[in-house]
Order: sequence, then C-alpha cells, then structure tokens
Amino acid sequence: MNLKFVKIMTLLAVIASTGVAGKLFHEHRSFREPVVAGEGLSSVKKLGDYSKSVAGTINDANVYIFDSGVPGGAILIIGGTHAEEPAANVSAQVFTENLRVTQGRVIVINRINTSASTCTRLGEAYPRFFHVKTPWGTKKWRMGDRTANPLDSWPDPEVYIHYPSGQNLAYMDVRNLNRNWPGRPDGMLTERTTFAAMELIRAEKADLTMDFHEAELEYPVENTIVTHQRGNEVAAMTSMMLTSQTFDVPIGMEFSPTALHGLSHREIGDHSDAVSYLAEVAEPMLDRIRGITDEELLMSGRDRFVMKAGEHKLLYAPIDEKGWPADKRIARHVTTVMTLLQVHNMLHPDRAILVEGIPSYAEMIEKGVGAFLHDPSAAPKGRVFYD
Amino acid sequence: MTMFHHSMLVLLCIVLAFGVAKKFRLSTELSMFAAALAALAAHVALPKGADPRSVLSLPEIVRHVVEGACTYYDVCLIFLTATYFMTLYKQAGGVAFIVRRIVGAFHARRFVCLVLLTFVMLIPGAITGSGATTVLTVGALVGSVLAAMGVSEDRRTALIFLLAAMSAACPPINLWAMMAAAGANMPYVGFGLPLALLSVTGALFSTFWLAGRGRPVELEKALADLPEAPAAWTWLRAMFPFVVLIGLTLAGRAWPFSFPILGLPLVFMLSAVATALVSPVRLRLLEVASTTVHNLLGLVGIMVVVGILNQAMTLTGARGLLSLAVVTLPVTVLFAALWIILPASEGVLQYAVAPLFGVPLIMLFNMLGLNPVISLASWAVMWPLGDCLPPTAVVGRAAVMELGYTGDYYRGFVRTALVPMLVILAMCTAVMIYSRELGALIGG
Repeated sequence: MNLKFVKIMTLLAVIASTGVAGKLFHEHRSFREPVVAGEGLSSVKKLGDYSKSVAGTINDANVYIFDSGVPGGAILIIGGTHAEEPAANVSAQVFTENLRVTQGRVIVINRINTSASTCTRLGEAYPRFFHVKTPWGTKKWRMGDRTANPLDSWPDPEVYIHYPSGQNLAYMDVRNLNRNWPGRPDGMLTERTTFAAMELIRAEKADLTMDFHEAELEYPVENTIVTHQRGNEVAAMTSMMLTSQTFDVPIGMEFSPTALHGLSHREIGDHSDAVSYLAEVAEPMLDRIRGITDEELLMSGRDRFVMKAGEHKLLYAPIDEKGWPADKRIARHVTTVMTLLQVHNMLHPDRAILVEGIPSYAEMIEKGVGAFLHDPSAAPKGRVFYD
Repeated sequence: MTMFHHSMLVLLCIVLAFGVAKKFRLSTELSMFAAALAALAAHVALPKGADPRSVLSLPEIVRHVVEGACTYYDVCLIFLTATYFMTLYKQAGGVAFIVRRIVGAFHARRFVCLVLLTFVMLIPGAITGSGATTVLTVGALVGSVLAAMGVSEDRRTALIFLLAAMSAACPPINLWAMMAAAGANMPYVGFGLPLALLSVTGALFSTFWLAGRGRPVELEKALADLPEAPAAWTWLRAMFPFVVLIGLTLAGRAWPFSFPILGLPLVFMLSAVATALVSPVRLRLLEVASTTVHNLLGLVGIMVVVGILNQAMTLTGARGLLSLAVVTLPVTVLFAALWIILPASEGVLQYAVAPLFGVPLIMLFNMLGLNPVISLASWAVMWPLGDCLPPTAVVGRAAVMELGYTGDYYRGFVRTALVPMLVILAMCTAVMIYSRELGALIGG
C-alpha cells in the first residue's frame, strides 16, 4: 500500500477522533449542574467572597447559606472534594435542595473542587456523567477526577510539599483538595481553594464541618466517621446511634492521625475553632480490582470481581449481590450529618443547629434519592443555581 | 457467560491481536494499538454477564481512546525536553570535554572512577523519578567513559540501563512508591531509607559486577579514540547547564512555598538555554529540536499507546481481572512470584502498574500484618527493572539508542543485565518477606 496514502488516512483518522473526543470533553467541561435551592435558603455567596485568592477561578464555588435568624451554631457541609466520589456532592445537594433551618445556620458547598469535576481520571475509563431518576425526569451530574483538572492547575511539581507542615506527598496530590488543607492564598489552585474555605469557616464561625467521601472496599478507612480529636464524643455517639438504630452495615469512628497532613479532618480542626469530621462510605467503582467500568457500576455499586475479593477476605466492607447502590451511599451520608447534629445539639445546646425538611434514611432507601431532588424547569427562577 | 469470562476473552483478544499484528511485521507501538482496538471491539461484541450494563456508544469509545492517549502526556514532555537539552550539550562538545577530563583524572583509579560514575548516574533519576531521564541526560556521557575504561558494548549498555533503573528507584523521588502510596492514601513518608539502601546497593553491585574488572586504561589511546572538545570549554562552562538544572530542581524543594513551580519540561528547556549560552560553537537549535522529536517518536509513541491500552483494559474489566488474579494468589505463591510479576507488568504498563498492583498489594500486606512502607519500597525497586522488557522497554530502548548499541537486544544487552537484575530482585524479595522485622529495625 502507498505509504503516503496510509499517512494521509491516519492523519484524517486522528483529526476525526480528536474532533469527536474534543466535542465530548467540551460538553463535559461546560455542563452546568442545576441546583434548586430549598425554601429555607437565605443567600448564595461565592467562595471568592471569603478570599480573593479563588475569586473568578473555576473553583469559585457557590456557597449556599441557610440562616434561621435564631441564634445557634453553624455547620459547613462540604461536597465534591473528590469528584470521582459522586455520593459526596449529591449528598450535599440533598441538603441544598430540601433544607429548612429553625435554629442556627447551615452552610453547604456542593462542589468544592469544581475543577476536578470537569475531567475524568486518565486511565480509569470513567463515564463522563451520571444520572439519577426522579419523579419528573432524569437529573444529570458530571463524573470527575480525584484531583483538579490539569487545564486549571499545571504543571505539577516533582514532589508536592504540603504547606505548612513540609510533608512530602506524590506530585499529583498538589491537585488533590484533601491533601491541601489549610491552604495558602498564593499557592496552586487547590491550595487557594482550601485557604478560601478556611477563611469561610473562620468568618462564619462554624462550629463543625463535615467533608463527604467515598472509598474503595480494599481501603481500611471505610464506612466510618474520621474525627478531629475535639470531636471524639460527638462522633462516637453518632456512630453508636447509627449502627444500633439505622444502618444495616455499621459505621465506625476513627481519630484523625496527627502525623498525616493536608486532610480536612486534621487541618480544619487544627487551624480553626471548628470541629472537623469526614464521612466515608463504600464505593466499589474505586477498587482497582473492579470489573467492567461503566455508569451502571457507579450507580449500582455491584461488581462480581469485588465480590470475589470479598470471598478471599480482602475487603474492609461487606458486599453481596445487592452491591452498594448510590441511594444507600447518599442516604448514609445525609443521615450521618442529621445524627451528628442531633448529638451536637444534645452536648452543646447553646450552639444548637435545628433543621427540617431532610428525608429520613428509610425514605431515601424506599423512594430513592431522586424523589428528593427538584425539577429546575418547574422551580422559581430565583431558586435555581448552577454548580 | 459471566463477567469473568468476558474479561478473560478480552484479554485473549488483546494477546491474539498483538501476536497477529507482530506477525504482519507491524511495529510494537502499532501492534499494541491494534490490541487495544481489539479489546474495545471484543468488549462491544461479547456478552457481559448477568448484571445490567450501560450502553457504550461509538463516540464514547473514541473518547476513551483519545483520553487514554493523554495518560502519559507529562512523561512524554519530560522525555522530549530532557533529550533536547542533552543533545544540545553533546553538540556543543560538553560531553566530550567532561569524558576526556574524567578519563584523564581517574584512568589509574578504577574503583574511585566507578563509584563516581555510579553516583553521577543516580542523581538525575533520583530527583526526577525517571530512568529514561537518566539515560537521556548522562547515559551517553557515562557510556563514553565506560568505553574508554575498556568495558564491552554489551556490559556498558546493560550497566547504563541498570543504573538508570536504580536511579529511578532511588529517593527522594520514586514515582511507583509515590503513586501507589497516593492511591492507598498513605503519605510518602518513611520511604527514603529503605529505597536508598536497596537502590544504592543494587547500583553499586551492578557497577562492580559489570565493570569492576577490565584492562587498565591506556590514557593516550583512550584520549585519541574520544572525540575532541572545542578548546574554549572549561569546567565552569561545562557545569553551568547542570547547575541550572539541579539548581532549579532543588530550589523548588528548598523554598517550596516561595519558588514558583516550573515543572521538569521547563527546567530542561531552561537548561538547554543555558547550554546555548555557554556553548563555544554555534548550535542549530531548530535542527536539533527536529532531530530530537524524530529520534524519540518510538519512545513517545509507546507511552501514548500504553495509555490507550490501559484505558481499554480498565473499561473492559481486563485490568481488574489481572489485578484480582494477583491479589488472590496464596501468600507463599505471591512471595515467590512477585519478582517476576512486577518487572513483567512494568514492561507492559509502565507507571500505571503502581496503582494497578501496588494499591491492592498494600491493602493485602497491611491486612497480613506486614510493613506496607518497607514492602512498597521493595516493589518500587523491582518495578523499574522491567523497563527493559517488552512490549514497552522504554529505558532499555533509550539506553540502546543513546549508546548507539549494535548488538542483539535480548541475547546481548538483556542477557548481560540478567545476573545483577536477579540479585536485586532476590534482595528485594527478602526485604519484602522480612518487612515487618526490617520496619522495626529501620523505622519504615
């Protein structure tokens, strides 16, 4: 065959493939996730309002503030730290869309690392979007990466040195939001993002923070609440109540290691008055031993390879034919915060935070989380926002 | 048909497509690309088991191919810029100057000369984590000195590869350990000592095994055989580009919160500028850039295709199946087999093996009560030894290219490297098995 012909055909194939993929990448990066804020919304600020360091960047996230006007405490709920863990941002959104606060304040960030949600993780073959069925249609979100998009934060250093501890971490962790707390105003994008979030925590005088995550079943920190040492009482009681009364799979409680830096459960508690908590729930699609990678696995959490590893006692969480459906993962996160607030109110009545409108665990499992997400096309314009 | 059967058949299609493509004399890069496409086609065509699956459209398949191709984009940039810098330095006569000076100074002291050369080879990989960078920056220079010391072509090519592999394993930067640790949410802390002990021991053993003995250097003959360096070269000029290279790299480490992050590609380009500034001869910058890209097409091509194959294997469950097969092996079999599995998988997937096998292995070893830091350090020294193995053989191919090796790749170069490789693998296996005890001893 004529070599010149082969070269021309190859070039055309490369141009066509790049064009097709480019269109899909652009669609993914530019897709805006509608949020129908609950009736109790007081105001929506931007993260950049708390620090200019992140203003105008892709991580200048919406900050949804629900203020009862009645004196009490304040909690910051953080979703989207790792954009490959969708239960985290959807759990935050369940609060944003349904919350009514009768005492104190609740502040929610659905997507704290928006940049990470604008690309998927190279080599992991993730779907670009995931969907949840609702009574009014299907709601769609961006599936993302663990770290910020290199289009927004590049190049990486040869080794990432955490500020201020000086701890060495893998180079890509400079884009991993949960290795960048407490951040700095003139650092890389994720460092600036966590710095702005710390400013928010200090300015809003948050009493507690909750950072939602998901983890592979091979990972020992699983189905648990990781707490700063100042939160041990609240976390322990929350864990006991949920395990004995609500969850079929127990939720544990662990202390934040003092020598491991950059994580929200360590640094927020160390650098502010807030008590920091982080909740983990099992997500089989994060396991390296998983089988076919697709949206079905992401949402059903059912995987035969991971089940096989379970038979060999290689997992830290149980898994069976039912898998770990997204509804269950989200319901666990939402209910963990509700129970945490209940215990917090019991132990700190002077800083109580009372909320209504959030579905119970049983309701979310029975009806599906989609039943509690609202139709943006039917909502008043002033209540629809985009993350 | 279950998902297990599906992923097994996809793996079979990968092997068959690769074999058929090679039979038709396609290059390794194109054969691997054909294998990736075969995996995707098989995935679409074959039943996927009892569980429901999402629809995979053609545009999404194309997206996975293009996305996979970008996996090692940064590594490719580093290859290109590092080689450009070193090629300019060579063209300027810098390499010839340094080699002539080293031979002149140390021709009578082989031991000192070999120790110095070993450490010169360890530095670039230790600070960048890339064995290919070692070969591309100082491989040709050290190879020339070894040739002047009477080390045969097979032995010096094998040694350059082994030292490059050990340099990549050497702390402070070991990308395999870093990537696996990051995947397992472990801090990259406590790895320095075990990595240094294993990699420096492996490097020194390789050096003295392959180049320890040789005829005494006949100074006049050696100098006559070496290319002349332009007279204007001095140590000050010769060191300047390397001072820029090391200075910029270390500055980021010394002042991490005030020095801007430049990235290795820019650091190498600035070092290239420094070379052009001190060069006593006029350099053809664009011509060298063009030659560099041409010479590295194979190397860059393989990295692009490995990314595509990895993405296809992940999508189809083939990667998970391999990973599952490794972690479900009985522990004694695992101990006995990792010294083969790790280098062989590195030959196929490059750095992608670290999260693929490293993360599940860390979890497994942690569960077994072994020391995960010491164990991961031992694997992270075994992995780079696979960089001379097919189908990628990135560092091996770079060594052959840089040294202008004319012998047979497997029967000459790889066979010569076999004894030091086996010794290093045995040492790492022993460290892995006794990781708990060693951890208590050295605090890993």
